[in-house]
This record gives sequence, C-alpha cells and structure tokens, in this order.
Amino acid sequence: MSATFAPAVTVAREAHAPHRLPRILLVVLALWLLSGTYLIQPDQQAVVTRFGAVTEPRVHPGLHYALPWPVDSVFKLKVQQTRRLAIGGDLPDGVLGRTQPNASQFITGDQNIINVNVVVQYSVSEPAQFLFHSQDVAAVIGAVIESELARRIAHAQVDDVLTTGKVAIQNSVRESAQHGIDAYRTGVVLASVNIDAVTPPAEAADAFRDVASARADAIRTVNESQGYANDLLPRARGEAAQLLESAQAYKESKVNIAAGDASRFTQIAAEYAKAPKVTADRTYIEAMEQILPKIKKMIIDPNRMLDLTIVRKGESGDRKK
Amino acid sequence: MLRHRKYLAPAIAALLLLTLYLTFFPVRETEFALVTQFGRPLYTVTNAGLHVKWPFQIALRFDRRLRIYNPRPSEFLTRDKKNLVVENYVAWRIEEPDRFVQTVGDPTAAEMRLHDIIWSGLSASIGSRDIDSLISVAGDKVQAGPMLDQLTEATDRAALDHYGIRVLDVRIKRLNLPEQNKQSVYARMRAERERIARQYRAEGEEQALSIRADADRQKEEILSAAYKESEKIRGEGDAEATRIYGAAYSKNPRFYKLVRTLESYKKVLDDKTTAVLNSDSELLRVLTQGEAAVK
Repeated sequence: MSATFAPAVTVAREAHAPHRLPRILLVVLALWLLSGTYLIQPDQQAVVTRFGAVTEPRVHPGLHYALPWPVDSVFKLKVQQTRRLAIGGDLPDGVLGRTQPNASQFITGDQNIINVNVVVQYSVSEPAQFLFHSQDVAAVIGAVIESELARRIAHAQVDDVLTTGKVAIQNSVRESAQHGIDAYRTGVVLASVNIDAVTPPAEAADAFRDVASARADAIRTVNESQGYANDLLPRARGEAAQLLESAQAYKESKVNIAAGDASRFTQIAAEYAKAPKVTADRTYIEAMEQILPKIKKMIIDPNRMLDLTIVRKGESGDRKK
Repeated sequence: MLRHRKYLAPAIAALLLLTLYLTFFPVRETEFALVTQFGRPLYTVTNAGLHVKWPFQIALRFDRRLRIYNPRPSEFLTRDKKNLVVENYVAWRIEEPDRFVQTVGDPTAAEMRLHDIIWSGLSASIGSRDIDSLISVAGDKVQAGPMLDQLTEATDRAALDHYGIRVLDVRIKRLNLPEQNKQSVYARMRAERERIARQYRAEGEEQALSIRADADRQKEEILSAAYKESEKIRGEGDAEATRIYGAAYSKNPRFYKLVRTLESYKKVLDDKTTAVLNSDSELLRVLTQGEAAVK
C-alpha cells in the first residue's frame, strides 16, 4: 500500500521542496509502521484479523505488533471479567412505570404458576468465537438458559422448585445450557446459573405463606408436646423415687420399732418371770393410775340397789356447765 | 502541455487507487460476500480475508453470525383442548446468501417467514399432543425434546431450501397459560396450598398428641411400678416387724396379753368414758374393805 501513496505525496511536494521529499516519506512510513504496536493489559486478551480474517485467535497480555491499518485490526477483550445476565425478574417498565410479571413466570409440572428469577454469570473462553460468531451473545445465553429452565420446571413439582429441588435445577440447567451454548459456538463458559428468587404469584402468595406458617405451627405444636413430656416424665420419676424412699423409710421404721418393742418386752418379760404376781399387779395398778384419772367414774356397791337417776343428773349437770 | 503534465500524475494515482479499491475487498469473519455482476449473483465468498474481483463487479455483504429471533408468544391448543401460551426462540443464520438475497433480502423479512413456518409447525405438533407431553411431573411422558428436534429439522429444511437460511434450533423458552385461564389456576393453587397447610397442621397435632399420650402412659407406668415396689417394701417391713413381735411375745404370751390389754385401755378409755366400778373390784376392794382385802 505504501507504494500507492508515494506518487500522491510526491506530487504534492514536488514544486516546493523536491530534495526533502524522500526524508518526509521515510518518516511517514516509519510512523505508519510504528502505529502497529499495541499493548494488552493483564486482564485482556486480543484477537488479530488481517483484512477481516482471523490470524491470531488469542493474544496474551504484553506488548505486541500487528501490521497497521488497514491491514490488521486488533480486538481487545476483557476475558477475565465475569459478565452478568439477569433473566426474568420484574424489570420495571420505564415508560409505563409498572412491572412486567410475565417475564419471569414459569409453569411447573403440576401446573402451578411460579415466578423464577435467574442470574447467570459467564466469561469469555474463546475470544474469536465470542467476537465474531454471534450477533448478540447475551441474547443467545438468555434464550438457552430460559429454554432449559422452562424445560426443567415443566418437569418439576412446585414444592421441589420452591424448596429442595432448586439446587438440582440450577446445576442441570447450567450443564445442559453449557452444551447448548457450546453447540452455538459462542465462545462463552458459564460460571454460574443462580436461581435468585422463586416466588409464588401474588394471587396465591398468602396461601403459600400459610403453608410455611403451617409447617412452623406443626413444629411448634410438636415442640410444645415434647416440652410437656420433658416436664412430665422427670416429675413422675421424682414422684416414684419419693414413693420408694418413703416405703423404704416405712419398712425401716416398722422393723426398728418392732425390734425396739420386742427388746423392751423381752427384758420386762425376763423380770416378770422372776416375780410374776408382783409384776402383774404393779403393771395393772400403774396402768389404772394412768387410765382412771381421765375418765368419769361411778363406784357402786354391788349389794345395794342402784338409783339410775344419778347418772342422768350427773350428765345434765355436766351439760349446764 | 504544462497544465496537462501538472495534473497527469494525480489523475493516474487517483485512478489507480479507485481501481485497487474496487478490485480488492476484505471479507470479515462475521460476514459472507456475494459478488454480483450487473445485479446477477455470481459466487459467494465464505472465507474471511482479502479477495479479488473485477472492478465492475459488486460485493454484497451479509451478516453470517448467529441470530436469536424471539417470535411474540402465541396461543396453541393441545389435543386435549387446553390452551397454552408458548414463547419460543429460533437460532438462525444466513447460510446461502444468493438464495437469501433473491427470496427475502433482509433479516426482518426473514424472521417473518420463519415465524410463519414455525407457527404452523408448532401448532400442528402441539395440536397432536396432550398437554402432559409438555408439562408433567412424570418424566417419561414429556416429549418436548423430540418434538422440537423434529420441528427444528423440518424448519431448517424448509428455510434452507426456500430462503437460504440455516435454522440451528427452535426451542420453547416459556410455557404459560392464557390470562383468562390463570385465575382458575390461581384458585386451584390456593385450594391446594390450603389443603397442604391443613395437612401440616393436622400432622403436627397428630404427632403432638401421640407424644403427650406416650408421656402420660410412661408417667402411669413409672408411678404404678413405683407403687408396686413401695408396697412390696412396706409388706417386707410389716412382715419383718410381725416376725420380730411374734418371736418376742411368744416367749411369754400371758404377760404380753396383760401388758397389751392395759396399753389398749390407755387409748380406748378417754374423758368421755364413764366407768361404773364395782366397789368390790380388785382395785377398789382395798378402798372399801381395808388391808384385809389384799389377797
């Protein structure tokens, strides 16, 4: 190309300074050649094309040289950068100031409608493919993820999607979406597919919340009864121990009292055996001394008639007191 | 002549440049070039790089990159007469520029054609299937994959033959129900949730009651076992005491009877008792008869 420029420049400068012409040409040529130097930053990679065709599919960071315009073109790309794509989600409609609920609605295998928001993170794996192979890489990724997600959710039960199945769906979507994306040769690797939020539609949200609180209620009821049992059984065991202890105490005291009584009796009986009549009399009289003072007594002569009215008088006299 | 010589060189240079510009043409990775001569397509250049043509030929460029076309959601009727709103995407690109330029010309027109092909194909395939071949928890019933593969293949064949378009994929992006059906679905969802909530609460109650009953039973068991054991211990005590008393008292039953009888008098006779004593009794005989009464 430089050859084609030469006559033009020559013509322009001819009349005024013919002797300086080659030097200016050399400087221009040198500058033009130097303009092919380029720098790739550490987080970048580059693709070089010559007349549109890829010659260097991957240039690593550093100082490099390519032929200047219009021969070579250098496309720099931040390959390390993780790119983010949100799918679904009630993106606020700027014009009408309302949300677009349909954007994130999916239908589950058991024909429930739920809202699912997904955030995809991806990075460039093949810069040349990324740059030249798709018109809109984000649209490709979005479409593939959405179709895989719709397929998974159309097989799943709503409870699984809302709770335990979420991670499995995430992983299988990422795996099969990566296959799809590779088939389209987008030059992208998916770092993560994250189901950000799964929510029931507003029309049934309170019923779903009630299920959650029912689950909590059930757990609470069970815990309460567990608490009741935990309170009851130790008390019962305590009561049982008390019962046993008091029985043991009763036994001990019975036996001891018996032993004491027996020992006392045996000793007295030994003395009684030595003087039975006196001991019997003494015992009897002593007992009478204790008994008779407490009770009312009437001493009668068996040989005379008894006037029973005195009994009455005595009693009525008592009552008047 | 002087004027001629002055302008001759620039003129030649300009002509040369123009010729070069018209002869060489770069083709980028992202495009095809279709070389035409007076409007008639001659050949397609698919390799990127610098290419040569005659200056009087024109190179038309076509974006060869993969495109995603999202037709607007359409409602389809399944074989079992259920309405479904299907949103799909089509991955396509221009494959044969000469046919493309002759039949459709630009991408927007191409997408309209694709929409027609896909709509009729989708309508036929969904119409010949029940809804649970698309939406079902039973994995073996779902045939969306093969159905879409077939549709992709048929669309690709038609689009390539007619429009020079390659269809890589026709996929369902979203399945939904028509707005007028959603309300009944919401109602059903609510009913289902209410049933599940009731079930959870009842199950909690069931478990709680059984825990309580079990605790009550255990309590009764513990207490009755303790009663049994304690009565046994008391019985042992009583038996032992009885044995001790028996052993002691049987040595002198007469004296025991006397002592014990007197003991019981002390308890039985209290201040409400009136004793009518015969003055001739052993205790009082001395009182009435004096010393001589002592036997």
